[in-house]
Amino acid sequence: MPPKRKAPPVGAQAPAPKAGRTSAMSTSGPATPRSLDDSNLSDADEDLDDDIPEEQKKKEDLLSKEADEFVRKFSAIKRGLNKQDDAERLRHYDAATPYFKKKDFSYLPLKPDHYNRPLWIDPNTQTIVLERFNPLSEQATDFLITIAEPRSRPTFLHEYVMTTHSLYAAVSVGLRPKDIINTLDRFLKTPLPASTREYIETCTKSYGKVKLVLKNNKYYVESVDAQMLQILLNDPVIGKLRVQGTDTTSSAPKMGGLVIPGTQNAAGVRQANLVDGPVAEKKPGDQDAAAANEADLFANLNEEDDDDDKENVHAFEIADSSVETVQKRCLDIGYPMLEEYDFRNDDINPNLEIDLRPNTQIRPYQEKSLSKMFGNGRAKSGIIVLPCGAGKTLVGITAACTIKKGVIVLCTSSMSVVQWRQEFLKWSNINPDDIAIFTAESKNRFQGSTGIIVTTYSMVTNSRERSHDSKKMMDFLRGREWGLMLLDEVHVVPAEMFRRVISSIKSHAKLGLTATLLREDDRISHLNFLIGPKLYEANWMELSQQGHIAKVQCAEVWCPMPTEFYDEYLRANARMKRTLYAMNPRKFQACQYLINYHEARGDKIIVFSDELYSLKQYALKLKKVFIYGGTSQAERMQVLENFQHNPEVNTLFLSKIGDTSLDLPEATCLIQISSHFGSRRQEAQRLGRILRAKRRNDEGFNAFFYSLVSKDTQEMYYSSKRQAFLVDQGYAFKVITHLANIEQTPDLAFSTPQEVRELLQRTLVDNEKGAEEDVETDDLFGRTGRKKKAGALSGVRRTAGMLSELSGGQDMAYIEQNKAANRALKQQGAGGGKSSKAAAMAEKSSFFKKIEREKEKSRAAARAARQ
Amino acid sequence: MVRAIRGVLIECEPAIKSIIVHLDSINHDFIIEDLDDHHLVVKENMVQILKQKLEDRLRETYRPEEPLADSD
Repeated sequence: MPPKRKAPPVGAQAPAPKAGRTSAMSTSGPATPRSLDDSNLSDADEDLDDDIPEEQKKKEDLLSKEADEFVRKFSAIKRGLNKQDDAERLRHYDAATPYFKKKDFSYLPLKPDHYNRPLWIDPNTQTIVLERFNPLSEQATDFLITIAEPRSRPTFLHEYVMTTHSLYAAVSVGLRPKDIINTLDRFLKTPLPASTREYIETCTKSYGKVKLVLKNNKYYVESVDAQMLQILLNDPVIGKLRVQGTDTTSSAPKMGGLVIPGTQNAAGVRQANLVDGPVAEKKPGDQDAAAANEADLFANLNEEDDDDDKENVHAFEIADSSVETVQKRCLDIGYPMLEEYDFRNDDINPNLEIDLRPNTQIRPYQEKSLSKMFGNGRAKSGIIVLPCGAGKTLVGITAACTIKKGVIVLCTSSMSVVQWRQEFLKWSNINPDDIAIFTAESKNRFQGSTGIIVTTYSMVTNSRERSHDSKKMMDFLRGREWGLMLLDEVHVVPAEMFRRVISSIKSHAKLGLTATLLREDDRISHLNFLIGPKLYEANWMELSQQGHIAKVQCAEVWCPMPTEFYDEYLRANARMKRTLYAMNPRKFQACQYLINYHEARGDKIIVFSDELYSLKQYALKLKKVFIYGGTSQAERMQVLENFQHNPEVNTLFLSKIGDTSLDLPEATCLIQISSHFGSRRQEAQRLGRILRAKRRNDEGFNAFFYSLVSKDTQEMYYSSKRQAFLVDQGYAFKVITHLANIEQTPDLAFSTPQEVRELLQRTLVDNEKGAEEDVETDDLFGRTGRKKKAGALSGVRRTAGMLSELSGGQDMAYIEQNKAANRALKQQGAGGGKSSKAAAMAEKSSFFKKIEREKEKSRAAARAARQ
Repeated sequence: MVRAIRGVLIECEPAIKSIIVHLDSINHDFIIEDLDDHHLVVKENMVQILKQKLEDRLRETYRPEEPLADSD
């Protein structure tokens, strides 16, 4: 294992404490490739943890524990801070005080002009509440986005929380504690509580003061504060590791010189050849500054930013090998290091010929997110959060075009690898030879001295014995220094996988992209340390108002359970309960009703069901097309094609394989029959399927999102939990208890008690043995089912495919693998007689050949079934 | 000899009725007469216990144990 030189700033060594098998399972979400069928085909889509050496596992375990502790330490800081306000609180005691308990903040007096100021604060939790209806809310939002994390953004009141990470991020874009405190005080309706002031000071004091910079391939510890460096140099551990005689003092680069391509400024620069357009001036907050003093304030902030840049920086060099030690030590003594990449002064790594196409305009929010990343002319590592369909890819590409160095892109599936490459070609003028793909099937390299590689997480983390080609490729990836590492869908990948990626591939800057930065377990905080802080999070509501994503009406439809079903539900085990509430005939009726209604309106509908059995039953009964894990590739393509272009096919049933990475801009309505417990992320990802609706900019257009819920069951609880994320984003769920005129639907299914009882009986019998599990494959477009289909061929068929597939060339990948060598040998041994038979077969007529072939196939199928 | 049991008429939603029937099926010590989807007669002395059990059951429904940490 190479030294982890390029680990991120703080708590770099922070994987989740999950190890072994469980974590492999935990990666098997829809977006993470792990297919049962093609495990033989690729050396990537494999169980990743079986083959990790014991030693490494232990190491990872240890490191993850360390990280956990570190995260805990931070929460502890927070708790210790509240004492001094207590005394003050006791002075204000009246009859109502006990009712508010700890939440009584009446001791904070309102300022005389409080109605002009938009912010409230809870000094206990550092939660800030913003009044959206206040005229100053725009400016306050801009400010809050920089210093705090958005928690909840419904229409009128937004909630933000200042965390150590968010303050860290604020410092990393050049804000100073003084600025934060002054601005906050100005926006607050009350004086700034002492505990908050202290909290900001403690959190920011240690952050961002020390930077780790890769310059000319040497690591420098850098600080604007010479004293800080003295502290470090006097430290017994760090002092020793310094390379002697390397102290430098230089002027920091001005941020003015950098212009993010694709913005209006960039266009101006190209024309006027003007290099000094300060990025900061592009802040929209400046343009429409309603109140003069607020504008002043921002100008102030910007000026101060500029002052920052003129200050001298002091630096000393440390050896590559000791970077990790220094980082850890800095962490211990409370001065975590920031990592930045000064790519414009990097003349060691060759420049890449890449630029956005002249006609490419990036949207304002994309620009904002990128200006966070390149805030002071250097590239910061971090995460950008944008909703599905809001152009995450373009943000990544623009970042690559700004840095103009070697780029490595990591995505979750082989299909998105292809998509990323296409997007690069579409938006930038990169030479197609300079952008290569590294997957199980193709292992290209770029021709020139530098370029872009697109690959999957599993390809680069797989530490198992590889094929010769991919091994060579990995050595190539490891041996280079990359300018930028783009991490797509960062939320799905477990922390330990990142550690492996980061430890094996060295890059100067890392940019994570995601739509839903949340996990039901609390592992997200680890990403803060592994990649970097959250740089930007877009406001969903704002984007939909501006027409970048579709407006969505959300509704939860309550479907009562018929008595027979509910009786059975009460008796059933957990597994059967899920089947029963999905199969609820009233839900079925509601689904039928909604499909009829929306088809009549001309909507294209996607129906999601996690429960495979009900998915099939619904689709068959309603005579609609469906796709699930076991659907063959050709069939999927055909179904999707039809859904997109055939006016007869308006409804598509999807299992959870369609949750992510499915781009169907035609879809305008979404119905959810059953779902994965209380997973907020699934809900958000599914909603994402209709956010890019093609028709979104039509007048009065609305997309619809229905969630069907069986009343009085656990589903009610899960459903409210699932919605939490979207509600925080500002979506409102309407509850529908009764669909009007549902009884009048023609051919309403299960309308008589007789039919309901039959359905119940059938459901119970069919599911007695335990329901069929959905086969999770690469993604919706993954290669699957080829083997399974073999037994069921009959008559003439027509499939899309390649010639190589027909001639068996595709399956030749088996041979390349040395993994199953033993088994292959065994099979050869057993089939020794067979080969001579095959020779004899050559003489036979085609009819007998066919019979022979068929026998082979069924035998193979039986064998496959046994395994 | 006629035996009389003091009973209480309960009117409820079908789902709640189902739960009561389910609770009763263990010892048959609540229900005197099952009238229709919305009505039941239960023993008067058991009403309090029934209420308690019903509440417990409903709490279970609305806060089931979470089987998932985060499976993907």
